[in-house]
Amino acid sequence: MAGALARIIQGTKNNLGIIGPLATINNGSVRFQQTESTKTKFGPLADSDRIFTNLYGRHDWRLKGALRRGDWYMTKEIMLKGVDWIVNELKTSGLRGRGGAGFPTGMKWSFMNKPSDGRPKYLVVNADEGEPGTCKDREIMRHDPHKLVEGCLIAGKAMGAQAAYIYIRGEFYNEASNLQVAIAEAYQAGLIGKNACGSGYDFDVFVHRGAGAYICGEETALIESIEGKQGKPRLKPPFPADVGLFGCPTTVNNVETIAVAPSICRRGGKWFASFGRPRNSGTKLFNISGHVNTPCTVEEEMSIPLKELIERHAGGVTGGWDNLLAIIPGGSSTPLIPKDVCETVLMDFDGLVAAQTSLGTAAIIVMDKSTDIVKAIARLIMFYKHESCGQCTPCREGVSWMNKMIYRFVDGNASPKEIDMLWEISKQIEGHTICALGDGAAWPVQGLIRHFRPELERRMQAYAQQHGPSRAERLY
Amino acid sequence: MLRQPLSRALALSPSRVAPLGIRKFADQVQAQPDKIEVFIDDKPVYVPPGTTILQAAAQVGVEIPRFCYHERLAVAGNCRMCLVEVEKSPKPAAACAMPVMKGMRVKTDSDLTRKAREGVMEFLLVNHPLDCPICDQGGECDLQDQSMAFGSDKSRFTDIHFSGKRAVEDKDVGPLIKTIMTRCIHCTRCIRFASEVAGVDDFGTTGRGTEMQVGTYVEKMFLSELSGNIIDLCPVGALTSKPYSFAARPWETRRIDSVDVLDPLGSNIVVATRTNEVLRILPRTNEEINEEWLSDKSRFACDGLKRQRLVTPMLADSRGNLTPVEWEDAVVAAARALRDCPPDKLVAVAGELADAESLIALKDLFNRLGSENVCTEQYFPLEGAGTDLRSSYLLNTKIANVEDADFVLLIGTNVRFEAPLLNARIRKAFVHKETDIALIGPQVDLTYDYMHVGDSASVVKDLASGTSSHEVMKRLENAKRPVVILGADQLKTPEGAALLAYTQELALRLQDKLVDKEWKVLNVLQRTASQVAALDLGYRAGAGAQLAAARVVYLLGADAGLVTREALPKDCVVIYQGHHGDAGAAIADVVLPGAAYTEKRATYVNAEGRAQQTWPAVTPPGKAREDWKIIRALSEVVGSRLPYDNIDEVRTRLSEVSPALVAYGEVQDNNYFAQARMLSQSLQKPVSGKLDVQLKKLEDYFMTDSISRASPTMAKCVQAVLKQKQSPY
Amino acid sequence: MFKALSATTRLSRTTLSRALPSFSTSSARLAIEDPFSKKEAPIIDNETVLALPEEIKEKTVHDATISVSTKVDVSPITGVPEEHIKTRRVRIYQQPKNAMQSGTSNIHHWEMEFDTRQRWENPLMGWTSTGDPLSNMKVQFATPDEAIEHCEKNGLIWYLDVPKVQKELKPKNYGLNFSWNRRTRVSTK
Repeated sequence: MAGALARIIQGTKNNLGIIGPLATINNGSVRFQQTESTKTKFGPLADSDRIFTNLYGRHDWRLKGALRRGDWYMTKEIMLKGVDWIVNELKTSGLRGRGGAGFPTGMKWSFMNKPSDGRPKYLVVNADEGEPGTCKDREIMRHDPHKLVEGCLIAGKAMGAQAAYIYIRGEFYNEASNLQVAIAEAYQAGLIGKNACGSGYDFDVFVHRGAGAYICGEETALIESIEGKQGKPRLKPPFPADVGLFGCPTTVNNVETIAVAPSICRRGGKWFASFGRPRNSGTKLFNISGHVNTPCTVEEEMSIPLKELIERHAGGVTGGWDNLLAIIPGGSSTPLIPKDVCETVLMDFDGLVAAQTSLGTAAIIVMDKSTDIVKAIARLIMFYKHESCGQCTPCREGVSWMNKMIYRFVDGNASPKEIDMLWEISKQIEGHTICALGDGAAWPVQGLIRHFRPELERRMQAYAQQHGPSRAERLY
Repeated sequence: MLRQPLSRALALSPSRVAPLGIRKFADQVQAQPDKIEVFIDDKPVYVPPGTTILQAAAQVGVEIPRFCYHERLAVAGNCRMCLVEVEKSPKPAAACAMPVMKGMRVKTDSDLTRKAREGVMEFLLVNHPLDCPICDQGGECDLQDQSMAFGSDKSRFTDIHFSGKRAVEDKDVGPLIKTIMTRCIHCTRCIRFASEVAGVDDFGTTGRGTEMQVGTYVEKMFLSELSGNIIDLCPVGALTSKPYSFAARPWETRRIDSVDVLDPLGSNIVVATRTNEVLRILPRTNEEINEEWLSDKSRFACDGLKRQRLVTPMLADSRGNLTPVEWEDAVVAAARALRDCPPDKLVAVAGELADAESLIALKDLFNRLGSENVCTEQYFPLEGAGTDLRSSYLLNTKIANVEDADFVLLIGTNVRFEAPLLNARIRKAFVHKETDIALIGPQVDLTYDYMHVGDSASVVKDLASGTSSHEVMKRLENAKRPVVILGADQLKTPEGAALLAYTQELALRLQDKLVDKEWKVLNVLQRTASQVAALDLGYRAGAGAQLAAARVVYLLGADAGLVTREALPKDCVVIYQGHHGDAGAAIADVVLPGAAYTEKRATYVNAEGRAQQTWPAVTPPGKAREDWKIIRALSEVVGSRLPYDNIDEVRTRLSEVSPALVAYGEVQDNNYFAQARMLSQSLQKPVSGKLDVQLKKLEDYFMTDSISRASPTMAKCVQAVLKQKQSPY
Repeated sequence: MFKALSATTRLSRTTLSRALPSFSTSSARLAIEDPFSKKEAPIIDNETVLALPEEIKEKTVHDATISVSTKVDVSPITGVPEEHIKTRRVRIYQQPKNAMQSGTSNIHHWEMEFDTRQRWENPLMGWTSTGDPLSNMKVQFATPDEAIEHCEKNGLIWYLDVPKVQKELKPKNYGLNFSWNRRTRVSTK
């Protein structure tokens, strides 16, 4: 699920208050200054720097193939370097959560290293990849499941977790099968389980299959779902690091975040930090879909210009770059950006926030001029309406109301004054809900109104000419 | 003149912050963590860490609007109405769940806060039908009030012209609760009440998003004795009272604060009336008794007050049929029977709904006639200390303190149906304080897990003598605040005296070892509202042998079926005074119509020994009169006039017998446990019977006294429960 | 002089009585008040010091409230029929919170009301009738003392009913819903 930077910052503050003093923040900012480089060109990524070397499934995904690709290499030694070393390496790498909200992973893991009060700790891996447009975790679990399993072990070690639960989306049947096979192989090889990798550390990995609810990708809803309850998000605080899975300290990480951790440990945080702009470092899986010639999932350097990414890897927009209408840069919940912004924007957290959108899961949905943009956004809102859990009022009532309105906008059967009203309603939802689904539903609408207001007004005018004034005018 | 001594009334601190009788126990008063300072609208307030913003605001008198939050239920945080601005936070925070932090500055009336509330209010109203004119909640609806206070002044819901609002099919959850689910705003209060307080996990949500529905998934009756409370909890009109549906508007009714008498706890109630008719009964908050809950019988049996009533005095004619007569004739007939009867053949039996005033009047009258045969229907062993020591027949721990118990042993009682709100307290302790419960007696559903220690009376003996090897023995001995509750049902049996003696022995042995000397362990749970007052006044518990030789039997509302024609001699005259034509009136020769508890100012003493008074909400129907006045009038005709002319003088007489009977609202600590224990030691005879309780299942609960037996609603409940039992769900 | 002083000590609210400790020669009085709590010596105006007792009395009569020691009973002049004063009982109480609603802002006062008398349905219109002129008299007070005073002044017999609604503050905790080892853990939603 995508999140906004504002939310991250707030989350950090709350965490500070609850979890205690964090000297690590200072380290982080110092580190950012150190890596402040004059690098101006980002991408393309050299083959030698790729983490996911079997992204396209051309090689063996099982243990043998994984070992050949360097997985499980020196895992024991990494683990024996200790918790602090791993967390520090992660902090140095500047890795930010790949699930959408972009919370610094090293910091998140360090929250777990409070003195234990007797409760076990858990790592939960969010493999409930449900965001329309996003298909990066799927590729990892299909073709490189051992990266994830190894990542679980290292992340688990770093936070002292007893077990990892991988919550995998119900529709991912084959992925769950591959993952299960990988886990079984790792158990048989002694890589996980009792005395994992011979490091003296006991660690279990469980796969939990979801039942196909988008909301279960929200971390607290995911925890609820693993606990066997309805996947309805919890309020924060308490944060999962305090009261999480089964009431115990828990960290929820995205599959990609976990899967890159072993490589970071092996090749060093500095190596990872050398990609991308400061605060947005690393490599990232980008999913490019929609009106491009060759839709694909590709690992690229962060901060790569959007245009270059599309031209180089996706074969360009159908009908040429000039045929581009708009792009949703980070999965369905992020606001779209029109063509003129797409020309220059850099694909990283800060770059997209500056363009009033968000990196989200880096799932780029390209729409060319043949797109009915209003209908496209309406379809997304319908998705959110369908996936709203119904727990809290603004999302339950607001999203379905937005859905009703925007479908009228598709035909133009609405009053132009309702555009402002829709904007206000989306603002009334955003930030007032328990989880970020409300925000995610509000943003596409806001993006549409921000950039395509004339189009909306044109449709209403056309409708009024053809059918007379809309019934919505009655209220005004 | 003034019955309640002024000094006593004034001694109570006259504000809402009056200190409560609930004590703080030694180890609870541990060092409180330092309070932290927060600012609510720039007003500083010191609260313990972990307090929510909403609670902190309440401390300074700022009421934050809410729908889902309820102070007696778990926090849900889903209605979002309580969003408030917290300084330095970009998003508003849900005040009901957000704990305060040091120096936090909360703004409950800022623009951001008001905007957030208005937004939430608008969303709630989007799918809420505007059927307030036909909604029973109208006039006492949180949604109405809060939309007036916090909502927008105009609607912009244009989609009403297109797709309209959501409609949801109504559910059938039994004869008490009417559901109009379209009105539901999904606050989940009912769900939380059902699973937390009632302990019946039947409610839940199905579906998601705007399709989400509150319900039971399969059509099912809400099988709880506390179900009526979800009507109160519902902030909108989704759950309303079925018997009260379309009966009245809240502003048409008069509300009279009173006390319930249908169970022994004396829950505080508000009686809503219109045109001399009781329309409904609602709970009234009393933290020491019922909190703000009320059991279904107490709430819904009020329609029984209108049916089967005795509205005129009656005399049996030559063929034995009761015929209406004037008061004069009936009183003269009754007086003649009383006067002509040898004193030792006079028997008075007081029933379960008798008030203290009529009890004392009847007892004084009989004493003046030379008879000591005044008894109650409920039996209580008279051997040993008998009823001389108050501690032997009361709930000494007190209802509110049961919450603080760490181990509860129930002996031969189904608390759930004998005293539903005491059971709710035990459940509260079970849930929130990790209290464990053990039960000796038949296995019944108490809504919480308990250790079942068998149903044999010898278990009690083993526990009392300390020879038991059962785990419960260890738990009891290690408990810091144990509670032992003996059901009054057990005292009826021949082994009752021994059982009471053993229970006393056990409880007092435990009590002696406690660090906290204030804590009381021994409890006897009476079954009826009148029993404690009657025992306080010196009534003999249980009518038995005297009946066989009686010439005149005076039944004061005795309807439990203890006195039957078969048990009485052929020529015995039965005088029945009471308000319902039930078992007692059926065998009577003279019927004197009395007043029910909603129709008189009367004193009732609850199972804790707490005197409370009812206030007249309506006037007695027909020629019925207040009970003590009937007896006073009778005494005049009999020729031994009782020395009181008004209720204040009756109460002066009551206070002569026991000052506790007029210390309204208060309850004293009992003592003389050691003496009772000593006196009971000789009674510790071997026991071998099995413990059994009268009310085992929900269907047994609804109709237990003359009022609830006359209530059609209660009859429907029994039917519905029996029907539900046949359903596969 | 002494006379004047002793007179002033009896009368409160005068400048002198407040200033007395520094003026008095008695050490006992001095000890009561912490001398450090004062910033400067109190100022006593000459008029007060020099006044005769009668003058002081006169003055206080004019500038302070008059306290009348005898009980005021206005019932003979209120015109309320005697039967409604002698036979009725006033209950002074705090209105209970409506169980159907959450709000409490309309119940933070005290009320007095008379006991209920018979009401009947008027056969003509179906309205409720009563023969009781006081049946709708509900008077609100800020404190029970005010209510008691009012009742005593009117010669009414009152009864004070103090609700038992105070509760100690137990912080609510959302996290308890998910606690791993507590029974507060929720099962349903």
